[in-house]
Amino acid sequence: MGKLYKFLKYFFITFWAVFVVAPFLWALTTSFKDFNSVNGGATYIPWVDFEPKLEGWRVLIKSPANGGVDIIEPYFNSLFVTCTASLISIVLGTLSAYALSRFTFKAGFVKNNDITFFFISQRIMPPIVLSIPFFLFLGAINLLDSLIGLIVVYIVLLMPIAVWIMVDFFNKVPREIDETALIDGCNPYQAFFKVVLPNSIPGLIVAGMFCIIFGWIDFFFAFILTFTEVQLLPVKIVALNSSITPWWSLSASALVSVAPLIIVAFIVERYLSKGNLSGAIK
Amino acid sequence: MHLMKMEFYPLLLLEVLMSKIDLNNISHTYNPNDPEPTYALNPFSMTWKNGKRYAILGPSGCGKTTMLNIVSGLVRPSAGSILFDDKDVTDLKTEDRNIAQVFQFPVIYNTMTVFENLAFPLLCRDFEKEKINERVNSVAETLNLQSFLKSPARKLTADQKQLISLGRGLVREDVAAVLMDEPLTVIDPDLKFRLRRKLKEINEEFKTTLVYVTHDQNEAMTFADNIIVMSDGEVVQAGTPKELFERPNTTFVGYFIGSPAMNLFETEASSNDCVKINGTLIKTNTNLSKLKNKKIKLGIRSEFINLAEDQKDNLLSVEVDKVEDLGNYKLLTAKMGELTIKSKITRETEVPSSDVKLHIPADKCCVYENEILI
Repeated sequence: MGKLYKFLKYFFITFWAVFVVAPFLWALTTSFKDFNSVNGGATYIPWVDFEPKLEGWRVLIKSPANGGVDIIEPYFNSLFVTCTASLISIVLGTLSAYALSRFTFKAGFVKNNDITFFFISQRIMPPIVLSIPFFLFLGAINLLDSLIGLIVVYIVLLMPIAVWIMVDFFNKVPREIDETALIDGCNPYQAFFKVVLPNSIPGLIVAGMFCIIFGWIDFFFAFILTFTEVQLLPVKIVALNSSITPWWSLSASALVSVAPLIIVAFIVERYLSKGNLSGAIK
Repeated sequence: MHLMKMEFYPLLLLEVLMSKIDLNNISHTYNPNDPEPTYALNPFSMTWKNGKRYAILGPSGCGKTTMLNIVSGLVRPSAGSILFDDKDVTDLKTEDRNIAQVFQFPVIYNTMTVFENLAFPLLCRDFEKEKINERVNSVAETLNLQSFLKSPARKLTADQKQLISLGRGLVREDVAAVLMDEPLTVIDPDLKFRLRRKLKEINEEFKTTLVYVTHDQNEAMTFADNIIVMSDGEVVQAGTPKELFERPNTTFVGYFIGSPAMNLFETEASSNDCVKINGTLIKTNTNLSKLKNKKIKLGIRSEFINLAEDQKDNLLSVEVDKVEDLGNYKLLTAKMGELTIKSKITRETEVPSSDVKLHIPADKCCVYENEILI
């Protein structure tokens, strides 16, 4: 029984690991191939199966004049937009979530839960519904095809996620913590910043992670709201495609674009394994 | 600052710490906009004297916690005023009142060490570093937490966490009162006993006013100088444990305090000071002249009922139902027709197995009309 269990356990772990890592290996090897190696059947081992070439990677940094696509600027655009929008969303979202969790709001029939739902409802709508209003709105304030415009739109998209996660999180933090802080002599702001917020770091990390992921992978709005001045990474990668699919440079750009998320995952994972996230709330 | 004074002018220090708490006509409702609001706390007035130990006793949901929250300022009363040392603090915010409150379940600051937890109330009030060290160490010593001072607070066990909560309440010497809301629920019985004694010692040594909410009458009786009994948002009786025990204001108090509960018999006044129980006249020390033919209840503690020795009056002939040896006393349950009478007697007393006579001392009889003591 014990042996069988152990065997099955390792079998599934191995299976899962292969399942997850295989596409990365495929992309990694493909990114070092040229046209002939890609079309020459399934080959995996460099120098044995095929001759590795750096062309796939070079295309990414070469300027279009030299036949490249230059994803460096879009890459940093994407980083800037995602990080700024996530940061603002987390700050605003956390503050509103705390208010929604701790204070009672009432405007006619609208109460706390309705406000929370209003935030979430922004994500229930299909994005296509939002695209035209966003387009007209950004056009009206002259922010089409600009980083600021994209940040504004992304805040609208990311803040609901932050509010949603943080309301739930704050609801689980016992009110007595705030009350104790007041009794110990904090004013309500100090109680929030000195006591409640440090206790909520796990929630902030989760919310931050979601914001970064959803911001980073968005293609739709980046595609609709920008033209020539500003381009984000997902749009640029799609633009790589041509009549002859450049598998090598597509693979290279896929690896490059997924790298920040992997780095974030590693950081959070290390933090998780230190036990800092567990047991923060009773 | 206070401690320096203490070395030279101990009396002056006491004066600084003096803090009397007055609750004037306080009442509270959680639905004030309703046409017919339901009151979590009915109007009452009370004074808590400095340096005393008070227990608020009552079943769950009777308004005990609301009362504490009003004193600490977490809840603003719907009506009435609170005075600290004759200064109105009704509208003063929690953080500006000098109150410490300990909740039922341990509340600790997870991200801080035990030391930082204990120091937090002083840090918020801008105490000097040396003073903070001194106070924290002294409180940690009192609560046996010295060896944990540097460890993260979240790593401690539930009862150690509750000690931290208590410690944060005790770390400020100048608090008007330490309010405790069933603070020992999560603590195991042996430690509970020692902690209660510790709290008493702290109260005696530092003259801190302690207010202790509990639903356990034993806890209240052993801990407090004064007990406030509450029921359904009403302060039913406030007094010393002895008063509550011997002269309960209402049948509720008689029932709630004491184990077993007070014996209560439904009866009628048959003369100016006598009631009739199952045909037997029992004399009381209460003037019953105005209560002729009204339904009343006679209450008497089982502790005061004894087997008749040479008394002539106030005897009830009863049938012994059972005798239980409860270690330090015997509990005699007797029947008289449909009535059940309980009596606590010493272990040495031999109880005949059949009929006995029980003596009801007139001065210990309490008479209730509409459940209220006359």
